[in-house]
Order: sequence, then C-alpha cells, then structure tokens
Amino acid sequence: MNRIILVGKPNSGKSLLFNQLTGLRQKVANFPGVTVELKTGQFADYEVVDFPGAYSLKTLSKDEEIAIEKLHAAMQDEKTTVIACILDATRLERSLTFGLQVQALAKKQNKALVFVLNMVDELQSFDHHIDEKQLSEQLGSPVYAISAKTLLGINELKDGLKHIASHAHDYLPLKGTDSSLDVLKQSRDLAQQFAIQADLVLKKQNRIDSFLLNSVFGGLAFLVIMFLLFQSIFTWAAPIMDAVEFAIGWLAQKITTSMEPGILPDFINGALFGGLGSFLVFVPQIMVLTLVIGLLEDSGYLARAALICHKPLSYFGLSGRSFIPYLSGHACAIPAILSARTIESPRKRLITMMTIPLMSCSARLPVYALLIAVLIPEKSYLGGLVNLQGIAFFALYMFGILMALMVSLVVNKFKANDDKLDDMPFILELPAYRLPHWKPLFQKVLNSGKHFVRRAAPIIFMVTIAIWILGYFPQSDEGLQASWLGQLGQWIEPVFEPLGLDWRYGIAIIMSFLAREVFVGALGTLFGIEGADENISGLAANIQADGLTFGAGMGLLLFYVVALQCVATVATLKAETGSRKIAWGLFVAYGLLAYLLAFVTVRLF
Amino acid sequence: MTLWDMATKQTGRIVDLSQELGTHISRRLREMGFEEGQLITCIRRSPLQGPLVVQIRDSVYSLEQSVARNIKLQII
Repeated sequence: MNRIILVGKPNSGKSLLFNQLTGLRQKVANFPGVTVELKTGQFADYEVVDFPGAYSLKTLSKDEEIAIEKLHAAMQDEKTTVIACILDATRLERSLTFGLQVQALAKKQNKALVFVLNMVDELQSFDHHIDEKQLSEQLGSPVYAISAKTLLGINELKDGLKHIASHAHDYLPLKGTDSSLDVLKQSRDLAQQFAIQADLVLKKQNRIDSFLLNSVFGGLAFLVIMFLLFQSIFTWAAPIMDAVEFAIGWLAQKITTSMEPGILPDFINGALFGGLGSFLVFVPQIMVLTLVIGLLEDSGYLARAALICHKPLSYFGLSGRSFIPYLSGHACAIPAILSARTIESPRKRLITMMTIPLMSCSARLPVYALLIAVLIPEKSYLGGLVNLQGIAFFALYMFGILMALMVSLVVNKFKANDDKLDDMPFILELPAYRLPHWKPLFQKVLNSGKHFVRRAAPIIFMVTIAIWILGYFPQSDEGLQASWLGQLGQWIEPVFEPLGLDWRYGIAIIMSFLAREVFVGALGTLFGIEGADENISGLAANIQADGLTFGAGMGLLLFYVVALQCVATVATLKAETGSRKIAWGLFVAYGLLAYLLAFVTVRLF
Repeated sequence: MTLWDMATKQTGRIVDLSQELGTHISRRLREMGFEEGQLITCIRRSPLQGPLVVQIRDSVYSLEQSVARNIKLQII
C-alpha cells in the first residue's frame, strides 16, 4: 500500500488531522527506551503515518534522533508517495522553519510535498486571511488551508491528497534550500508577508497565563488541579476497578462450577483468573490517568505545570515535568512510568522513572492500614482534628517522597558524566490554550490500556503461575504452611530473623512480590483469619496478641515503603528504559535498601 | 547584559548566543526564533529564580537560568 506521511511542529494539530483522515482505527509502534511513537492508519487506499512533532531535522537527543532517522528512512522508501507537512497558521514562522527543512529533504528524495495550513478557523476569528494561492506560489508546493477541528476545507484536502498521491511526479517541490540560514530567513520573510500579527494571537494566552502562572493564584490553581487529578485516579477509577474485579470473579466462578473439584479448577481460579485479575484491575486506573493527563496536555496546562515545578525539582536533578509522574505514582507506578514520556530530557526521564517506585502506590495502602492498626494506638488530639494513625499514614507517604528525592540526588551525581545520557536544558514552548478534542484523547486512552496489557501481561502471568504452584503443592491438610512456599519460608527464616520477623512474615513478604496487597491476605491465611482483606481489625488484634515488637513492625513498614515488590512495575521499567539491567538492578537495589532500613529500625527501637 | 537579567515587560535585541551553549543547542535556539538581531520580550519572572517566560516572534517560551544567561542582548 502506498504511503502518505504527516510531519509538523509540536502542537500544530497533527494528531487531530491524522484522526480526521484515518478514523478511529490505528496502530501504534513504540521503540524500547525512547518516547518515539509512530501511528499508522488508513485513508482511502493509502497508509498514513503520523510522525512525532519536531522543531527541526537537526537532532538534540536520542529520542529525536530515532524519530528523524525513521523519517529519513520513510522518505527514501519508494512506497512513500506524499509528504504532508502541517503548519500552524497562528505560528506560521516557527512552523515554516521545520516545514522548509522538510521541503528541502523532499526535494532531495524526489517526493511530492504538500503544506497543510491548519487552524485557519482561529485566524478567521481575528479577521485575518492567508492567501494560500500566493503562499503556495512562493513556497513552490501546494498549500491547503484547513481546520482539523471545525473540518473546514477538509474535503478539499482529502481530494487533493488523493490527486497528488496518484500524480506524485507533478508535485515534487520546485524550491527547497539546504542552508539553515536561508531557512530561517525565508520563514521570517514569509511570515512577515502572510502571518497574523503575533501579539493578537498571543494576547489571550498571555492573559490566561497571567492568572495561571501568577505566584499566588497560579500556585493555588496548581494545587486544585493536582488535587483533582489525584482524586480522579482514586475515585473515578475505583468503581470501574471494582467492576473488572467482579467480572473476573464471576467469570472464574461460571467456568469452574461446572467442573469436578480438583487441581484444574483450582488452577483456573487461583492462577489464571487470580493472576489475570491482579493486573487487569489496574487497566481502568491506567486509562483514567491517561485521560486526565491527556486533558491537561491537550489543553496546554501541562507545560505550565512543568514550568511551576521546574525550579524546586531541579535541585534534585529532576525536571519540572517529573512532577506529574511522581503524583501519578501515588496511584500506581505503571501509568506513572508511562507518563514520564513527557519529560524532554532523556537523563531526567530515566532518573524520574527509576524513583517512581518509591511513591506509595495504592497497592501499599492495605499493608500500611494493617501495620498501622497493629502498631499505632488510635488516639486523637485537638478535638479529633489530628489523628495519630493519620499522621503515621502521612509520614509514610512523605518518607517515600523523601527517599525518591534522595535517590534522584545520588543517581544524578553518580551519572553526572554519563555521555550516553543526553541532558536537554529546560526550553519549553508554552502552547496556546485550546479545548481538547475527544478523538485523539480517546485514541490515547485506548492505546494506554492496550499497551499496558501487551507489555506487562507475559511476565506477570509467569510469576503468578510460579507462585501458585509453589503455594499449592504438595497438597496436605496443613495448607500453605506445608507447601513448597511454606517450606521455603521456613528455610529462609534466618534472612528475616535479623528484622525481628518469623517465617510467616517471610512467606507473606515473598508472596507480596506478586503484588503488595497480597501481604494482608497471606498473613490472614497464616494466622488463620478468613477474609483478612476485608477485615483488617481482626487480623491486627491477632498480630498484636502474637507479639510483634514495635521496632520490627516499624521496620516492616519502612520495608514496604522502599522495596520494589511488584513484577508489573519491573516489567514496565524494563520496557520503558529498554534495559533489563536497570529494571532488575532497581529491584535488587531497592530490596537491599529496604532490608537495611528495616534492620536499622529494629535496632533503634 | 543577558536574557536572565531582564525584568518583566522589558524588551531587548539579541546580540549573541554564547559558545557555552554548544553548537547543537544554539542551532535549536535559532530555529526556535532566538536569532541574533531579533526582538525579545520578557513576559514573566518566576519566584526563586525559576524559569522565565519570554515572547519572541510568534511564540512564547520558558527558559531556565542556564540557558537564559547565555543569551546576550541589548535593552532597547
């Protein structure tokens, strides 16, 4: 199938145009370790490829390098018939800088090129008109004026693209200069002749900024928006997560009730559906988070949030854009690691991804709740305003954040001279504020779910099955204690003894490497409490009576703050950093650090 | 003086991009509009020496200190 490729500057409305041309069916190709995403869809008889937005063909980082390499390859490919270069009509000069570079390349490769002048509806609202015929004459390539949002001129563009694709030889660029100085001068000259006055377009944006970036109101607005984001991942996602859990449980029951009791239904119930459920339940949360971050990004606020957070985070070697991933990490590390893709500097992105697992994710919540109920008396002060257990919760969250900042600081020092990791300075364009369009957002949300399942499913599945087998065999009346897992727990008891913990905690800790919340259920089984997940207080009383020392309990809590007990996170880290070494290295390093912290804590109290 | 020394609402003309930026970053800055001879306006300063916000040609950018202090300009 012949191919049309879409290129353009960031924020030029390229993704929306891609969606308008191709409809909602698309494929996304990712490349390990970088944020490059190539979207492919179909328009008429052509394959359309959407390239990442770029400012220049001359690259600064590895991410850009890969994107531009792919572009060069696509340009050479004989299947590529038309290059459509999107220009933001409200930022004509900046769009042309990249546009003219692409035109020169198209000329060199003998490819037809067409300029798509997008967002002319915004120009119309200012009563400005760009004469596309004249612009086309001066550029030496066809120009179509459209609005991907209001669909103005979209039919003409579609017809034009089909015509040009079938008569590609008549539309090779007539002009095209290789010299970068000429490109800059030419885009400036053309902008002077055709573009709308910049102050007119930027007035609205600057007015909103004077509120949203104001040191007082801006700070408040920031806190409110982040609070809503935080709420959304917990409250909006919760009912969907429950529904998924319920559906999986229902399905498992439907399938297994018709079977004879035995190993097979136990396997299907415990390993297959149990394992499936433990990670499918995160899909809604990931999708809701992607939706909210997508809304922030497409509306233009994300750039402002990064600006506000940049200075404080830069002390720790992080970028302003590290803030959203950190915040998301309090819900679940997986979408948080994926959202680190918005960090422009590869080096800061790596440090952010490496430290996200230290944020207290929602899977740690049941563990915190149980151990706090065991260790901290339920006392309130100041007429119920301050609750001792509440303070303990808060302190644990803060401890996680503090550890993340400390680790960032250390990694930053340690990797200071690593040439393989480019560091890009903070140069951020503040795009216009726009109402997000549902089509690209919908795509993004759908892709995030698919992406997660495809990446994390295999490894989670294997570990689930392994732990299930260890806990199930050999079968006896004594249950978990006599299983291989139980024997393993007793065998490695010496490892946990210095932490003041016996073999039962050892097993619960090992099992919770699958997912942390398993800890509560496993301890419940070992202490003989049914349904410990729902009934924490019964288990807490049992543990208290059993004589868990305060020091050992506190050590265990700190262990859970720091340890990377989540295979799904390790799998995501591996995929996103493109390095098995980093992912499993972190697993080991955080495990050792957690152990050390617990070891010291037991001795302090 | 440099871009970093600008006060809010001040306008200047870019004189030079310092060599300290390196060729790659300098080239990108020029492509983004930070060319010698261009007018640039400071729209906003952030508290605690945070990134500043400038308008150049048709775009608005936010730059951190390490970049801004390497862009030399003349106040007009």
